Amino acid sequence: MEHAVEMRGIVKIYPGTGLRANDGVDLLLQKNEILCLAGENGAGKTTLMKVLYGLERPDSGTISIMGTQTPIHSPLEANRLGIGMVHQHFMLVDEFTVAQNVVMGKEPRRHRFTYDLVTTEKQVAEVIDTHHFSIDPNKPVGKLTVGQKQQVEIVKMLYRNVDILILDEPTAVLTEQEIESLFVTLRALAAHGTSLILITHKLHEIKAISDRVAIMRQGKMVGDYSTASVDEREISRLMMGESVSLSIDKKPYNGEKRPVLRFDDVSVVRRNQERPLLNKVSFTAHSGEILGFAGVGGNGLGVLEAVLGGFLPITEGTITHNGEDISHDDSADLRRNGLAFVPADRLSVGSALSATVAENLIIASRKSYVNHGVMGKKRIEERTRTLLDTYSVKGRSHMPMGTLSGGNIQKVILAREMEQYRDHIVFSEPTWGLDIASSLFVYEKMLELRDNGAAVILISSNLDEILALSDRIIIFYRGTVVALLEAKELKQVTKEEMGAYMLGLKRQEGPNG
Amino acid sequence: MNAVAIPVLHSAIAIMTPLLLAATGGVFTELSGMLNIALEGLMLIGAFTSIVFSHYTQSLLLGVLLGMVCTMALAALLGAITLYLKSNVFITGLATNLFASGLTVVLSFRLFGNKGVVVFDEVAKLPRLVVPALQKIPVLGDIFIGHHVFVYLSWLLLLAAGWVLYRTPFGFRLRAAGLHEETLVSLGMQPKRYRFQAFLISGFACGLAGAVLTLNLGAFVPNITSGKGWIALVVIFLGQKRPLGLLVAALVFGFADSFSNYAQGAWNVPAEFILAIPYLFTLVAMVLFSIYTSRKSSIE
Amino acid sequence: MGEERKRMRFLPAKLARNSVGALVILAIALGVLVILSLLLSKTPGKTLRYFFLGPLQNTYYFGNMVNTAIPLIFGGLGISLAMRAGSFNLGGEGQLYGGAFVATISALAFAPLGFLGGVLALFLGAMTGGVLAGISGVLRMKWNTSELISSFLLSNAVVLIVSYLIAGPFMDPETNLIATGKIPESLRFMRILEPSNLSAGLYFALIAVLLVYLYLQKTRSGYELRMFGMNPMFAKYGGISVHWYRVWPMFLSGAFYGLGGGMAIFGTYYACMKEFSVGMGWNGLAVALIAGFKPVAVIPAALFFAYIESGARNAMLHSDVTFEIASIVQAVVFFLVTSSVLQQIGKKRRVL
Repeated sequence: MEHAVEMRGIVKIYPGTGLRANDGVDLLLQKNEILCLAGENGAGKTTLMKVLYGLERPDSGTISIMGTQTPIHSPLEANRLGIGMVHQHFMLVDEFTVAQNVVMGKEPRRHRFTYDLVTTEKQVAEVIDTHHFSIDPNKPVGKLTVGQKQQVEIVKMLYRNVDILILDEPTAVLTEQEIESLFVTLRALAAHGTSLILITHKLHEIKAISDRVAIMRQGKMVGDYSTASVDEREISRLMMGESVSLSIDKKPYNGEKRPVLRFDDVSVVRRNQERPLLNKVSFTAHSGEILGFAGVGGNGLGVLEAVLGGFLPITEGTITHNGEDISHDDSADLRRNGLAFVPADRLSVGSALSATVAENLIIASRKSYVNHGVMGKKRIEERTRTLLDTYSVKGRSHMPMGTLSGGNIQKVILAREMEQYRDHIVFSEPTWGLDIASSLFVYEKMLELRDNGAAVILISSNLDEILALSDRIIIFYRGTVVALLEAKELKQVTKEEMGAYMLGLKRQEGPNG
Repeated sequence: MNAVAIPVLHSAIAIMTPLLLAATGGVFTELSGMLNIALEGLMLIGAFTSIVFSHYTQSLLLGVLLGMVCTMALAALLGAITLYLKSNVFITGLATNLFASGLTVVLSFRLFGNKGVVVFDEVAKLPRLVVPALQKIPVLGDIFIGHHVFVYLSWLLLLAAGWVLYRTPFGFRLRAAGLHEETLVSLGMQPKRYRFQAFLISGFACGLAGAVLTLNLGAFVPNITSGKGWIALVVIFLGQKRPLGLLVAALVFGFADSFSNYAQGAWNVPAEFILAIPYLFTLVAMVLFSIYTSRKSSIE
Repeated sequence: MGEERKRMRFLPAKLARNSVGALVILAIALGVLVILSLLLSKTPGKTLRYFFLGPLQNTYYFGNMVNTAIPLIFGGLGISLAMRAGSFNLGGEGQLYGGAFVATISALAFAPLGFLGGVLALFLGAMTGGVLAGISGVLRMKWNTSELISSFLLSNAVVLIVSYLIAGPFMDPETNLIATGKIPESLRFMRILEPSNLSAGLYFALIAVLLVYLYLQKTRSGYELRMFGMNPMFAKYGGISVHWYRVWPMFLSGAFYGLGGGMAIFGTYYACMKEFSVGMGWNGLAVALIAGFKPVAVIPAALFFAYIESGARNAMLHSDVTFEIASIVQAVVFFLVTSSVLQQIGKKRRVL
């Protein structure tokens, strides 16, 4: 019996970054089944589905639909093969009506050039009715609720008679009732002959809706299982990986521990967002400790980073640095006060790729090279060379930053920030994309900083890293602190437990930092 | 009062025609998401080529048609360089205007030995709508009847444009390219295709607009378009990119122009100030719009 | 973050590193010129000879050609500064003309102050251009209004108003020209290559190039400006004031244009004639684009444009084509110079 979809050996490497988004992935979808494609952010799920839908071309691998092998070059071809996709970010024109959005690209016509708006409305109404949705085909999409907009996306695909429907994180923006409603729809679709793939990382939803679950991690397919045969903990473990402990020699800090940076009930609210981006976050970072922040992407770690770097103003609460209120300081103020910050986005924030290595290196310390209004080129040169040497960077000071490899770019950034911190330093995803040797080098330096009395803040989605390095760990879920793990608890906590906190399954009573 | 109002309004209708035509074409590029400042240059080419071809072929119809072909060719060049060579659309628009103003003078000199005004006596005047019965209608008859054919053609084209934009799949997809191009891409369509066709349409309309200017005058004046292309852009924005709005805005400018001709004689407002108004007006409108958008996207 | 990537395609620094692309564009432009001559001239050979060789044939033509390049150098420097900071200044026409006008009437008003009056006049001319461009910068900084469009609109209005002022309240009743009065003889720049009208303004232009180069490469502000232009997020991250560098580079670029206008008056025209500078603003922009926004490259780029104009003038005088051929060639340059496709020609692939 043929599969609805058979993907074999899919490889997709993004040319700009060299990232292996899909590394030899196999995927099977049976007819009439609901398959969940699970994994953390960055695991490669969306890329794989973009390949299936013709939005990306794989570097190698094959796709077979209903037993016939066929390359898929565009969404139009995918549609013709009966594949449809509902994207995470809606592909709708708010100013057009539901019906007009649904038929776009396949508009019913009268006399070849005229848009038959009457038939359009009728046909779309039919599809809506058949599947028991209740949206008005004549309403402008901009006036619909989020759940209804998603229904329009689904109707758009059903109108094209798809047998295979992909949904990318469909429940990310829905309320509980809307999710229920969606699941009813999906089950009905499966019962009537459609095969479904749901991209998700929400454990309870996987259990609620799917027949099978395929789990990806770091570009590879870990395995697929019948949903009935695995429980949520198991899925979480497979998504996050085994507990591999990095052997890092961590000595306890003997110096004086004083509070350096303190957040008190900090909230960040935006008018166009339902939930606060940060919700009454409180913690204190002390000298001589590594304070780790863990959480799944999209749950507030990025927002925290932006606040720490002075990029995002806070709405409520106070931030204090050595007793001084810095709640409304922007990046320039923070830098003047000695902020050292290694950002997650190396290329767009942490460096200027068209500038030279030397120019990148001195950005935060530029004022110290000025003598009588002129910048001392020789001193900059010397300093650059010294730092490049100390940090074993493969590159020279006059080369454009963009010609360095990702790992070396990160080393330059580390060199810059580590050499000019004053009492605290923020690291966000510091070893993402680095090889083992470079990563260990980073860890060494971080411990050095901590041993010298710095307050080190580590934001990372790499649980091994957080567990190995942190003296204390704070876990974020949906912008809120859900757990604070002190040193004692750290010795016993497992990755599954951490995963449970990170995915909102568990919550500590009254955490405070 | 009627002695002043009626001629002013009558002349307003005539003056607004090239503006309306150019704006009708330009609205397609705007709706597709491109800022098209080449309306000026395209009109100029249309103005020059239509009267020159009319002169050589002794046929108004052929002259106008050939003029439109030439204008569309320049628009195609503009579109291709902007979209397929991936250039900055404002700079290529500037290039188009510079190119047109240079080329028309160069050709005028080559063909007629004259860099200045070239009079074409023997080219027929544009046919006018003379219907005595309608002209007898008080007030409205005086204002709306008796214009040359392009005036009425411009209204028909506006209707046609409205139909294309709102009643054809092409129009919907073109507007989608300007409103949310990702939607088109996700369905396998290319926004570039629709934008290119929008450039061609603007060339078509500007060719006509230019033809009106020269054929009405019976002569080619260097830079005869002087600023009208820019005013057409203002008309598009003032009219909120919708057909009815275009009509109203074009009428407003036609009236302002007609009235200023009268005022220049009667009062004494310097011509330059009047000419500067569209630029300052657009500037103020832009700033207000920016303030509005930046308030909307700020915190809380 | 996608926005940054899109902007990177037109990053000044990238164009600056690719001279091959610039040469290709110049070659195409000259090729168009040759074709036009063949098509339009009854004596194409003669036309091309006068076009290409005319400006070089004697001191008079050569000197005049270099003189034409002076305001272009100032404009090119100004635009380069703005572009290196990521800002588009399309108001050169108004900034130059307005600056020239203010410099002229200031010189007339401050005549009793002698040399000091002249310096003050030039300074005010520069300020005029600076403020005009600065307005666009402030609008961008405060409300994200496109400085590209606002500078263009403001410039058009300014040109009209200045023309009105010259033909009206400030017209010199003693001449037949529509122009202001002439500036005092003591303020007029020396001619440095008789019999041509090449003025000492050339020295100022070359000094300006040096100053801009030193500013960009050696000062902290210049460094901050460049970093901001290469990656505004990175600049903000490093503690550079984003607000300041939205305004200051625009101001500088307008000031250079205004100064260039003043130089043209003091060096060549001596009175502000109506519309004397038509096209100089756009040529300044084209010069900067060709030069890849590098100060030193502005000199050959300005000379190239001056060469085109002089060649056209020569061909016009001695052959049967019209001066406007130059506009066509310049238009070709404008068409091609922002193409990111052409910029990729001859570039090595980046190794990341």
